[in-house]
Amino acid sequence: MAEASNSFSSELGSSNETDESVSNRSSNRSLRLAEKSQRKSEASDPLLLALKYFSEVKAGTPRIGNDVMERNMALVERVGLSRGLPPEGISVMLDYAMSLRMGAVPCVRVLKFLIPATVVPQEAIVRGMAWLCVGKLAVSTQVFFLKWVLTIFDMIDSKEQLRAIYGFIFSFVTEEQLCPFICHLLYLLTRKESVRPFRVRKLLEVQTKLGRQPFLMHLLSLYKVFCPGFVAVSLPSGIRGGFRSHNSQWKTVLSAVQKKNNGQVTSDICLTLGAKCKPNSRKRKCNHLQLPSLSSSVQRSSSTSRKVFPLEQLHSFSQLLENLHRIELPSQMGSLLGSSLALCYLDYVQDDSAFLRLNFWLGHALHEEFIFCNGEEGSGSSSESLNFLNRLLSTQHFLQEGFFSTEGFLFKFLNVWDGAFLRPQILGLLSDISVVPSSCIRQLLFEPLMQLYFTSTLYFKCSVIECLNNMLLKWLTWHSVYALKDGLDISLNSHTPMNMSLSGLMDSIMELVHFVGRLATVGLQLEGCHSLLLSFTLDFYETVCDMFLKFDLPLVAMPPLGVFLPALFATDPVSVDRLCFIMYRYKKNLMAAKCQQQETKQGFHISSQTYREFNRYQLIIVSCLWNSKMFQPGMAVEVDQNILALSKVPEPSHSFNLIHHPAFLGYALDFHHKCWPERESIDLNSIKAGKQWDWYLEFIFTQGFQGLQQFFQSFISRHSVAGTTAQGPGDTQPTSG
Amino acid sequence: MSLLKPFSKTPEINGANILLVENEEQFQQCLAETIVLQNMNVNVNVRLARSLPLPMENEKSRPRIDLVVFIINLTSEASFKSAETSLKYLDPGYFLGKVCFVVTKARSAVPPERLIAVRKLAASLHCPLLYAEDQTTEGVTTTAHRLLAILRVTAGLIPMATSLYLSTLTCYTLPSDTDQLNFD
Repeated sequence: MAEASNSFSSELGSSNETDESVSNRSSNRSLRLAEKSQRKSEASDPLLLALKYFSEVKAGTPRIGNDVMERNMALVERVGLSRGLPPEGISVMLDYAMSLRMGAVPCVRVLKFLIPATVVPQEAIVRGMAWLCVGKLAVSTQVFFLKWVLTIFDMIDSKEQLRAIYGFIFSFVTEEQLCPFICHLLYLLTRKESVRPFRVRKLLEVQTKLGRQPFLMHLLSLYKVFCPGFVAVSLPSGIRGGFRSHNSQWKTVLSAVQKKNNGQVTSDICLTLGAKCKPNSRKRKCNHLQLPSLSSSVQRSSSTSRKVFPLEQLHSFSQLLENLHRIELPSQMGSLLGSSLALCYLDYVQDDSAFLRLNFWLGHALHEEFIFCNGEEGSGSSSESLNFLNRLLSTQHFLQEGFFSTEGFLFKFLNVWDGAFLRPQILGLLSDISVVPSSCIRQLLFEPLMQLYFTSTLYFKCSVIECLNNMLLKWLTWHSVYALKDGLDISLNSHTPMNMSLSGLMDSIMELVHFVGRLATVGLQLEGCHSLLLSFTLDFYETVCDMFLKFDLPLVAMPPLGVFLPALFATDPVSVDRLCFIMYRYKKNLMAAKCQQQETKQGFHISSQTYREFNRYQLIIVSCLWNSKMFQPGMAVEVDQNILALSKVPEPSHSFNLIHHPAFLGYALDFHHKCWPERESIDLNSIKAGKQWDWYLEFIFTQGFQGLQQFFQSFISRHSVAGTTAQGPGDTQPTSG
Repeated sequence: MSLLKPFSKTPEINGANILLVENEEQFQQCLAETIVLQNMNVNVNVRLARSLPLPMENEKSRPRIDLVVFIINLTSEASFKSAETSLKYLDPGYFLGKVCFVVTKARSAVPPERLIAVRKLAASLHCPLLYAEDQTTEGVTTTAHRLLAILRVTAGLIPMATSLYLSTLTCYTLPSDTDQLNFD
């Protein structure tokens, strides 16, 4: 056995050169033949002869010096690599190779050019598996064969017979070197009826021998989905990664052949589906990102007794409704992404195995293309990747939930991301992720984001805050939609094994809010309180302040001072106005929470710390904008008078009221000019006195500052507005509870 | 054989100096050109080196270096080794936020052990670890912008922010679980 594998590996090592020389020679040699065949336009004629030779050649025929064999082999090889072989050709060649009629060397060579033009007959695969059972093949050749089967799996016309020999295939899991590939193949073939207790036991046995390998875990998790009773062991939710990708040499050739044959094969599907547009114009270097065209496994054997309705014949929603009970899922789940009708169906059936298969395909494709890209040029932001991610995004929006394989991919990708590559798509996907448990949110999400955020430009900072705002909105929406009546147990996402308690959700949200607080505080400091970043931060807090009233989440979290003060002292009036609006909404939420607490005696508990912060903030706003008592003792922001005197500002406590605040100074001047058009010198302090102050406020409110107006009406009693003697925050303020 | 020291020279007014160290000298050049082309309010001076220590003869004329960047190409073992040996010629003061690593080709078929080794190195030195797309102009520009963002802080151009402060926020921390290093 060892000798055999040695000879095989040496063969593999030199295979590239020999292949080329062979094909060169063969092209010279068969030039005449090819020309003739082209003239006759009967391309298959010499091929048929060659195939006939291989189907009839006797075992033990010498290989070395056999010119007939060499010529025929070269011909088939050329056809295989350029146009792909017809189904019967695949059958014949596979049988010839696996039977080792001429030894092991041609076997590997044949497998290398076994590229199907259209489909692979399942009988060929079954026969190949049978040869595998004979046990004459070297282990490396067996692996090679299995890799080939996995590569062309989606082109096998029907899998019924393969499923029938599930047990035979399963028996190979004990072979250590074959196990990963066998597991992958079984994963693709498994149905509910194939899950048996003795198979589970066998897998667990293998697991104890080989350790917790991902391929075993994947298969076990699929078994668990079908028969939760059989698999008692706990499996980590959403095993990341997947089956090892074997970047086989077939893929490039296969995609080239498919591209060549694309016109005939996929165009009709394109017509019927509509969702998958222009397959011909897609050029791909790898096959990964191509959404497979919809084709269910029963396409060819439509005469079978089971009456099923293949998805690709679905044209309208009414058709979907009529055939809902007998729809067959396609053989390749990735094709579902291309069709909204198929997604409707998927969402309706809630089939766990379908989701598992789709997730598996997706995780594999994402990983291949974006993390483990074998690309020569590292797959730049090519339009394929862009289209693929956009399609994924729209699918997730359609289903209104993220796939867990996308999440796994994102958490991994964030660690190698430069922060610019496909930024809108990545951040879009990131905002779709389901609630991350607070125990691992830091490591999975915050750490990589922090490193990106603090070393990036202003625009990236803004987009991160926006993304986190969208994420929070999604989490809150899920909560308000899925929360059960008793408010204790919510199953956020029926397709992930994650069930989260309310307190778990609140912990995660609290972590997220605090995290954004930190990001915003330091970000504003680093960027010199840039208004753009401030605006995105205030967007976020507009979501946060209404968590109780809008989303029914019993949680109130105040912004940190590092966000509050830059907004209050911003030079643009919009930020100040929005801050006032946010404070007004906080008040509404706190009051509602307090009411609920008093009525039901069991509302949620808001810490006294939150009340203290809220009271402090409103005191700062009122004393700063209205009362001109800024910096005075007992007014929240205290600064020593001697230090203030050093600044040589005449009346420091007045410098941030609505008249002198840098954001409103322009309005004050405007107002002054309108009030006293005849005055030569400007005395802004005259606005403060008596009626003018009321008029000035009215004037400000008419400029569209709704936030200021709402804050003013809710926090300050009307009669006390007479300038400097205004009383502090009204008696309506919630006190610490 | 002299240590490069962060505070042995006086800083220039409105100036910042960045040193790019890369053994292969592939990414270095175009990154340097991109950095210089960026519109900044200060004079940014980019210096290039294959490895440390820097030659003695320029010692006098060399300005204060505000940020040392090690560029590591993940597809080459030599690149990592060279950066590792160069680190010895830096004054410990540099590791208070004035060193960062830029890794290229992380998203390709590289042995995972090498990526883990780089992560461990960055974590043990409390340095930020940036990933760069060196094949596209957009990727190079992004890397330049990110380096400049760090440089601005380390050169003391941002009020109230120091390099140590930034490094506490950006330094790479190792996941507690070693299995997680692979993020599998």
